[in-house]
Amino acid sequence: MLRRTNILLSRNRLLQVVGLIAIWWACEALVQTLRLPVPGGVIGMAVLLLLLACGRIRSVWFSRGSAGLLDHMLLFFVPATMALLDHPELFSLTGLKILAVILVGTLLVMVGTALSVEVCFRWLSRHAG
Amino acid sequence: MPVDPMLASTLHGDWHPLFWAAATLGVYLATRAIHQRHARWWTSPLLLTWLLCFALALSLHATYGEYIKGTHWLVALLGPATVAFATPIYEQRAMIRKHWPILVVGIAAGTTIAIGSSWILASLLGLSPDLRLSLLPRSVSTPFAMAFAEDVGGIPELAATCVVITGLVGASLGELLLKWLPLRSSLARGALFGMGAHGAGTAKARQVGAEEGSVAGLVMVLAGLASVLVAPVLAFCMHTTL
Repeated sequence: MLRRTNILLSRNRLLQVVGLIAIWWACEALVQTLRLPVPGGVIGMAVLLLLLACGRIRSVWFSRGSAGLLDHMLLFFVPATMALLDHPELFSLTGLKILAVILVGTLLVMVGTALSVEVCFRWLSRHAG
Repeated sequence: MPVDPMLASTLHGDWHPLFWAAATLGVYLATRAIHQRHARWWTSPLLLTWLLCFALALSLHATYGEYIKGTHWLVALLGPATVAFATPIYEQRAMIRKHWPILVVGIAAGTTIAIGSSWILASLLGLSPDLRLSLLPRSVSTPFAMAFAEDVGGIPELAATCVVITGLVGASLGELLLKWLPLRSSLARGALFGMGAHGAGTAKARQVGAEEGSVAGLVMVLAGLASVLVAPVLAFCMHTTL
């Protein structure tokens, strides 16, 4: 029985996605009832990580479903952007200013983060070896 | 673009939620196929799907309410997708155990630059306090950003839109930056995407490499957590200075 569950879960990608949705659903309900300030998905991730670390769950039971969901994650963002339909006032100089802040800000964040990590990495690898 | 009144009136009927879900998925699958053949920044499925769906919604005079009615389940899938990050993070646990101090430095630097640069740039350009606050959380993924915006007093929907535009801009910008910056470690390449462009960047980082992908996912999640922890402190400072 356990062996059969193992085989079924490690092969079926859709079943794995359903499992991930179930974990998220349960954690979302928990967050709602306890009024936690953290999104349910994050709690779900922590729970799954804990179960994996304890050895209660094997990572092959979720790896294909996880890869599937993460591959299509870009699509899940699209509907939220349509909020612009209700804000025509942003198609103006204000909108351009917001775009400029995002563009320059993102550039600074990326360069700053990457360089600090790279400098740290090189420093540590030089002093370790 | 002239619209057939028959078509427009049917679309405002009962089945339009189904129409918008089908249109979004259809456009996404088509643009993905195009991107697999011609991988350029302007064929990014996120950009093209957004542009085409937006143009379609505009020409059919659809509102955001009508559109989201059929597609909110897609946004909801961001929750299970966040849960899904546990698997790659677990599979890369050896690398994380080895390099955690570097990752902490990167996240601290990134979060500080993200919040600081948004605030300073928005102030320089004279944006209203509402807009300024909605721009603060744009470096973190949507579920975090909306909680953050509510905490510090911004507009959650606008914050979500800024988050998505950041993802769009960042995923393309990151690809260009990889060619210019002398980055030897996969840690730096992953952190660049995860910190600068959250989910969209992580998806791009997964295309660069498996290690880059899981570093990006980890940095994204930890940066989100950091911002949720920083938000109450920041909200307190805002209320005392504004």
